[in-house]
Amino acid sequence: MRCGIDLGSRSVKLVLMNETGLQDSRLFETVDFYRNYGRRTDNGMVVDFPAIGIEAVDSITATGYGRNTIDIVGAKIIPELKAHVVGAIWQTGLESFTLLDLGGQDSKVIKVQSGRMVGFETNDKCAASTGRYLENMATVLGISLEELSRYSDNPVELNATCAIFGESELIGRIVEGHGIPELAAGVNYTIFKRIKPMLRSLLSETVVFTGGVALGKGICRLLEQELGVKVVVPRHPQLNGAIGCGVYEKGKRR
Amino acid sequence: MSRIGMTTTVPVEIILAAGQVPVDLNNIFISDNQASVLVEAAEDEGYPRNICGWIKGLYSVVVSGGNIDKVIAVTQGDCSNTHALMETFQLAGIEIIPFAFPFDRDYDLLRLQMDKLIQLLGTSWEDVQRVKHRLDVVRKKVAEIDRLTWQENTVSGWHNHLYQISCSDFNGNVSEFEQTVDRFLLQAGAASEFDEDIRLGYIGVPPIFTDLYSYLESVGARVVFNEVQRQFAMPFPVDDIVEQYRLYTYPYGVFGRIEDIRAEIEKRNLDGVIHYVQSFCFRQIEDMIFREKLDVPILTIEGDKPGKVDARTKLRIDSFVEMLR
Repeated sequence: MRCGIDLGSRSVKLVLMNETGLQDSRLFETVDFYRNYGRRTDNGMVVDFPAIGIEAVDSITATGYGRNTIDIVGAKIIPELKAHVVGAIWQTGLESFTLLDLGGQDSKVIKVQSGRMVGFETNDKCAASTGRYLENMATVLGISLEELSRYSDNPVELNATCAIFGESELIGRIVEGHGIPELAAGVNYTIFKRIKPMLRSLLSETVVFTGGVALGKGICRLLEQELGVKVVVPRHPQLNGAIGCGVYEKGKRR
Repeated sequence: MSRIGMTTTVPVEIILAAGQVPVDLNNIFISDNQASVLVEAAEDEGYPRNICGWIKGLYSVVVSGGNIDKVIAVTQGDCSNTHALMETFQLAGIEIIPFAFPFDRDYDLLRLQMDKLIQLLGTSWEDVQRVKHRLDVVRKKVAEIDRLTWQENTVSGWHNHLYQISCSDFNGNVSEFEQTVDRFLLQAGAASEFDEDIRLGYIGVPPIFTDLYSYLESVGARVVFNEVQRQFAMPFPVDDIVEQYRLYTYPYGVFGRIEDIRAEIEKRNLDGVIHYVQSFCFRQIEDMIFREKLDVPILTIEGDKPGKVDARTKLRIDSFVEMLR
C-alpha cells in the first residue's frame, strides 16, 4: 500500500493506494494534523499512522505547501505542481489539458501537453482568489461554502481587490438589498476574474478543475460560459495532489 | 576626499577622476546585516508600504548616517521613484547631483550630461579617459570571471553576480577590488566544474533575496548569465567612454536589453530564464514583453523586502526547474 500526503495550507489530504486504485482517504485540518499526528524528531516529522488508524505502508510520498519546511521521515518529497499534474492525468486519463487548482491559500494554472508540464502560473501574494476567501465570504453571507459555490447567474458586481476589504464591499451589497443567489454568484465571479489573466496564455480546449473550490458547480459554469472551454472535474478534486503522490513513481519521467 | 553615493550605475570614471570615492548605495544597503531594518526605518519616517524596497533602503542608508557627502541620482534611465527619493534627500539636507541617461541613446545629450558632471566635480575629459583605461583592465578580469561561469563552469551564479555588480563602484577602491578579483581568478581557474544539469539566465534588476543563487543550486540549477549585473561591468569594450555608456543597455529601452539577452541565451546555451521583478516596480509591465520576445521558458519571481526566498517562491522555482528537466 502506498501513501500519498498533500500538506496544504488549510487541510492535509492523505490517500492510500495500490495497483487497483484508491483504497482509502483522510482529510484533516492542517493544524490538527500536525498537532495530533505529527511528532518532531531530530530527523524531521514522524507521522503517527497507527493513531490515524492506518496499518504500515510500503512507501510515503508527500508534497504541498509544507514541503520546504516540513520533512516527513522516510517520505519522498516531490514538487507540488508535479504532484497535481500526475494526479490529474491519473484521475482523468487525459494527456493534454490545462489544470486549474484552487486550494485554500493559492491558485495554480498548469498547462499539460502530452503528459508534460509546459508552463504554469500561480497567484501572487494575495488571498482574493483562494478557497480561504470563499470561506470568509460564505460566513459574511451566513451560508455554507457548499451553498455559496452553487451560484453563477446574475452576479452582483464586486471589485474585491483584497480578501478582507471584499467582505465590507459585500456587506454594502447586502445592504442594497440583493438576494443571496446574486451575491454568491458575484463572489464566484470575482474568483473567475482573478484567475482569468492566469489562464490567458495557458488555455487548452479542456480545463481540469481541482482543489476544494472545484467541488462547487458555480465556478465550473462560469469557466465554461466565459471561456468557452470544456471543464472536467475529476472524481476527487480535493485529493488530486495526494493522489498524484500516491501514484508517483521515481524515475518515471513523463 | 568625498564619498559620493549613486542610486544606480553612472559614469564612475568621472567620480574617480575627480579623486572622490564612488559608493553604490544599493550595494551598501543590501550587504547590511540589518537591511530589513533599513527598509522599516524608511517606513517609520513615512515612506509608503507599497513602494519599492530598494528605494526605502537607499533612503535610510544615506539619511541614517551612511557617511555619504553627496548623491548622484539618476533621474532618467532607472526609475521615477528616484525623483521623490531625491526630494526626501533634499528635505534631509543632503546635496543632490542629477544625472540623466537620454531615453533615445542620443550621443550628444549623453556627452553633455557627462560634461556637466565633469565640470561639477572639477575634473577633465583627459583624466576621465585615463581612469577609463585603468578600469578597463579590471573589467576585463571580471569578464573572465563571467566566461569561467558559463564556459568553464567553475564559478557559481552568486560569485558571477557579486563580482559583476561590484563594478558599479569597484567597492570604492579600484586597486583593492582588483586584488580580490585576482585572488578569485586564481581559485576559479583551478576549481572543479559545477555539475548542475539546468543552466539558467537571470534577467531584471538584482534580487533583494539574499539566498536566491544558493537555493537554485540546491535544486540542481545554476545561473550562468546575470543580465543587469553584467551590464554594470560594461561588457562591450570600446575606447570612447560616451559610446561605452551608450552601449550599456540597462538605462535604455527594453528592446535593446532583449537583443542582448537573446544573444546570451544562444551563446550560453540556457535552458530557461528567471525574470526577477521588484514588488511595485514599473518593470513588472515589461514581463509581458519578455514573454512575447524570448523563446525560452521564463519564470517570473517577485521580491519585496530583503531576506531569504519565501516558501511560495521556492515552490515556483522547484516546479520551474522540474519542468525544464
